[in-house]
Amino acid sequence: MVFSSIVFLFKYLPIVLAVYYIVPAKWRNVWLFIVNLVFYGWGEPVYILLMLFSIAVNYANGLFIAKYRENSRNTAKNILILNIVINLALLIFFKYYDLLAETLSMLPGISIKALGLGLPIGISFYTFQAMSYPIDVYRGDTEAQRNPVLFGTYISLFPQLIAGPIVRYKDVAEQLSSRTHSVDKFSSGVCRFTVGLGKKVLIANNIGALWDIYAVKGAADLTVLGSWMGIIAFTLQIYFDFSGYSDMAIGLGRMLGFEFLENFNYPYISKSVTEFWRRWHISLGTWFRDYVYIPLGGNRRGLKRQLLNILIVWALTGIWHGANWTFLVWGLYYALFLVIEKTFLLKALDKVPSFFRHLYTMLVVTCGWAIFQLDSMKAVWTYFKAMFGGGAAGLYVSGDIYYLASFAVIIILAALFSTDILKKLWSGIPRRITKILCPVGIICILVLSTAYLVDSTYNPFLYFRF
Amino acid sequence: MKIKNNILPLLIFTIFIGAFFVLNLALPDRDFSQQENRALQKCPAFSLSSLFSGSYTSDYEKYSADQFALRDMWMPLKARAELLIGKTENNGVYYCGDTLIKQFEAPDAQKLEVKVDAVNTFASKLNVPVYFGLIPGASDVWHGKLPQNAPNSSQKELIDECYSRCSAKCIDIYSLLQSHSSEAIYYRTDHHWTSLGAYYGYEALSATMGYAAPDLSTYDRKIVTDSFCGTNWSSSGFTWVRPDSIETFVDDSGVEVDSYSKGTDSLPVQSGLYAKDYLNKKDKYSYFMGGVTPLLHVKTGNTSAPSLLIIRDSYTDSLLPFLTQNYSDIYVIDLRYFRNDAAEFAKEKHVDSVLILYSVSNFCADDNIVMLGA
Repeated sequence: MVFSSIVFLFKYLPIVLAVYYIVPAKWRNVWLFIVNLVFYGWGEPVYILLMLFSIAVNYANGLFIAKYRENSRNTAKNILILNIVINLALLIFFKYYDLLAETLSMLPGISIKALGLGLPIGISFYTFQAMSYPIDVYRGDTEAQRNPVLFGTYISLFPQLIAGPIVRYKDVAEQLSSRTHSVDKFSSGVCRFTVGLGKKVLIANNIGALWDIYAVKGAADLTVLGSWMGIIAFTLQIYFDFSGYSDMAIGLGRMLGFEFLENFNYPYISKSVTEFWRRWHISLGTWFRDYVYIPLGGNRRGLKRQLLNILIVWALTGIWHGANWTFLVWGLYYALFLVIEKTFLLKALDKVPSFFRHLYTMLVVTCGWAIFQLDSMKAVWTYFKAMFGGGAAGLYVSGDIYYLASFAVIIILAALFSTDILKKLWSGIPRRITKILCPVGIICILVLSTAYLVDSTYNPFLYFRF
Repeated sequence: MKIKNNILPLLIFTIFIGAFFVLNLALPDRDFSQQENRALQKCPAFSLSSLFSGSYTSDYEKYSADQFALRDMWMPLKARAELLIGKTENNGVYYCGDTLIKQFEAPDAQKLEVKVDAVNTFASKLNVPVYFGLIPGASDVWHGKLPQNAPNSSQKELIDECYSRCSAKCIDIYSLLQSHSSEAIYYRTDHHWTSLGAYYGYEALSATMGYAAPDLSTYDRKIVTDSFCGTNWSSSGFTWVRPDSIETFVDDSGVEVDSYSKGTDSLPVQSGLYAKDYLNKKDKYSYFMGGVTPLLHVKTGNTSAPSLLIIRDSYTDSLLPFLTQNYSDIYVIDLRYFRNDAAEFAKEKHVDSVLILYSVSNFCADDNIVMLGA
């Protein structure tokens, strides 16, 4: 199930919230656990079993590690390694089997059949969440969770189950057993959820239609103007889609009493690629930093080792996003820019006017999305050629002008909303005005989003490959 | 006062989703949307097999959207919002002032070649003249009404390509419609041609097919309804565009129609050129010939005139009244539902000529045409 759907908003959510607040507090987590599984199983009921298996394994291993971590460090470590292997094995099997089979079959004498299994939705998100828990227990950062329902609720928590943020166990451990509910918290959750819904339904879906027009054009039809409009549209679409999802997750969390960490912080106002990755999908970056980069030695073992660590982390970050080698290229593309910035460019950029720093960053990011979203490096190459004037279709055709006219308003609005200008303006408005504007805004967004969802010809789920 | 302010978002949200939760439960499900002119998804029956195949949940999502309370109000709201932010198209329909025109995108040339080859094969099986006509749609003939620079494939080029490959006798309908493009030859809210457009089609056919078409001024034109909201109106959400009127040119007296609603093997039902029932329904275009039927047999009073077989789409429905003036028996086949061999049927009925007549959009979309080549 996805948040931006009629079924979720007007059937699932009213029931979930009503029962949640009616039943006695001690039953709330049990209720959440049940509805999490309904949410998860909606698309692929069979994979509920996979989810339950994942919960059981990590739950049990967490207990074992907690038992042995003081007295028998080695046993604890072996269990931890086993646990990581099981988690990764599941992830690799369900997500990368076909890619590996296809790639290995290119070697002479090897022929492995692809299985064509459907990717369990959100597997990359919840596997990472689940893996973090025994590691935190092993490190002594948190106590083991003895209550299987609480642990199951954590792993399968529907607000962030399918598109993040990746919530680490230690960040919500206390909230699982005791969290506060208040009118203020619920209301702030509503505001946040509504903003996220508007970002997804009104902006991302709208502008995504433009990318879809250009993504399928071949070399012969892809003009300079068209290819730029297309990739700019996708740049805006993925930000509004993804950060909208995170907003909705954080908002839903608050309605249920949870506080999750932020996942996006206006990434498109960044003035360097390094800064961009501190602002984009923060929970994923934090995860890789804490569980891969720092354990590998981080920056404490000399520059060469640090550069290697960066390379490893970004190769993994890339391929985490989907079972296609283009994602690996995309990760390495960022590793390259991060290394260049780390070695000398950041210092050089300091002397450049911020407009150019911003331009440089957005150019890197925008081109990056072409590698990210197109299916093959051949398509990426064709697209880049068109963008930089090496294509066969010329500067523009009349159709491009039509799409430009049709999408100009939404592109400008989206570009504006992707910066923190609105936030600054909002904080400058006197409170007596914002307290009227806020409810009016909520009503407008809810009504318009509903209209778009009822007549939804286009409502993609971008993370089906994650 | 502070509490009161903070409770507002909570109240708005819970009341909004709660109210529609209750409304969706309370309001009865509809089988059919008059506004959209289509059957709505009913609540799917639950079964373990449909759950595990995924069809239950996807049908349930369709059901939730289709049966959503006040659906007929939400769609125009979205259409208005789209116009407001500068888009001139919704659900594939261009908004051109008081006219709605469906976007046309030409299919692969190869796909069309297969269909034209099927027409050729069909023609080669028969010893009587086989005529082939493609009717251009408003997206081409009324190209000037489209929003500026609107992407839209040329139907003229497509017609020319098909005709150059076709060995049947091809009829140029495009030129005549084009020369009358300033007149109301298409409905403003529907993809079909109007009776006036059909008259020009009839005139275009006459030269090649060898009959005399009476002058336009000789007809007694009657408006039978002025509240026709067509398919473009339905699918686009631009529901504030004023309705069309439907005209008739030819009287149906002396014409009998046998309608084989279940194919050739069943007994025919008596019908007519005009089905008045449909004037009270949403789908008012079906006033002509009473909607889709696998096979129609139109018997006119002109017993000395030749007979004709038409393999057609729904554009033919409003053309048929004109043709009754020049033919004795007209057999009309809809390949989507006709399951016999059309060439055998033509021989069996000893028709004097065959006309394969399609609108460009249906010729592109309907794959049943390939069966002619079987």
